[in-house]
Amino acid sequence: MRPVRPRLTRRAALGGAAAVTLASCGGSDPPPTDGPEAGSGAAMLGSLAAFEHAAAAAWGAIGERLRGDARGYARTIRAREERHAERISALIRELGGEPPEGRPPEDYAAQFPLMRNEDEALRFASDLEEQLVRAHLDALQTLPREDQRRAVAEIAAEEAEDLATVYASSGEPAAQLPFVTGSQ
Amino acid sequence: MSTGPSRRKALALAAGAALALSRSAAAAAQLSDVDQLERLLALEQRLQSLYETALERDAVEPGLGETLLEHEREHVRGLEMALRARGRRSPRATVPPPQVGTAFASRPAFARFAIDLETEAVGAYQGVLATIRSTRLLLPLGSIMTSGAQHVVALRQEAGHDLLAPA
Repeated sequence: MRPVRPRLTRRAALGGAAAVTLASCGGSDPPPTDGPEAGSGAAMLGSLAAFEHAAAAAWGAIGERLRGDARGYARTIRAREERHAERISALIRELGGEPPEGRPPEDYAAQFPLMRNEDEALRFASDLEEQLVRAHLDALQTLPREDQRRAVAEIAAEEAEDLATVYASSGEPAAQLPFVTGSQ
Repeated sequence: MSTGPSRRKALALAAGAALALSRSAAAAAQLSDVDQLERLLALEQRLQSLYETALERDAVEPGLGETLLEHEREHVRGLEMALRARGRRSPRATVPPPQVGTAFASRPAFARFAIDLETEAVGAYQGVLATIRSTRLLLPLGSIMTSGAQHVVALRQEAGHDLLAPA
């Protein structure tokens, strides 16, 4: 069996753009004025925590469009994203920082693509999880502490599992590529 | 078919192999990058050998087995390249052949056995990603780790389990 490479369609591109927008959800939050020093990893962790909050809200919206097992997985993944946000927030607090708080779901909803059916919801989910994988792998390169890198590596693995679950829910092979960077 | 004793035996074999390959997190922190890459290579070679044997014995659905085997070959190739780039001409890592027996007795049994080994490999990568000195290796090693995490999901599907482990 040959690896399946996702096709880039206009709809996919729009969904991908929405996922990229979500990835920058922390961008409008005010920067910390005191607390962790530069180079501590707090800023990068803050971006990841904000992204995880947005992802949890996105999975709430995605789940509303899914049925059966896929709907159950959406609930599981949403809970995982919330746990990721909490875990990263704890790391920020250890540095003396104040992690970003999640916003009400309706505040994120305008950034989601239109999801009229299950296929569109799964496409957005795929784009979102790819962005999450990429964000966490990229973050590894700037985090200075072992505990930070370990936590983010563990979260990246869970995001890859979530992405595989989206593939499987879409009827595609769960494992498609030997190197999963989140930018396929 | 009772799989209890078979599963215990398979897990014991995996644990024995893991013992030879594993290091504590503290010890891992003291290892050189080359040591860490060699450890990962041994794990990947073991997985490659595992899928080769499973395909020979029809213990895995052929399409899935071929895909996972091809991925493992790519992982081995990538790690060997990284080692060569660090002056390791002939990687020391070796892997014993998979044990004959219960792990290959049925497709679900093999899937469960492979889940354990893939999970162990993912954990090893996480330890390395936390401690390795060369930041240039973080993305390539991370992308192998995430591939391994997806293997676990594919194998859970093969075993008839929920795709995501409970929290």
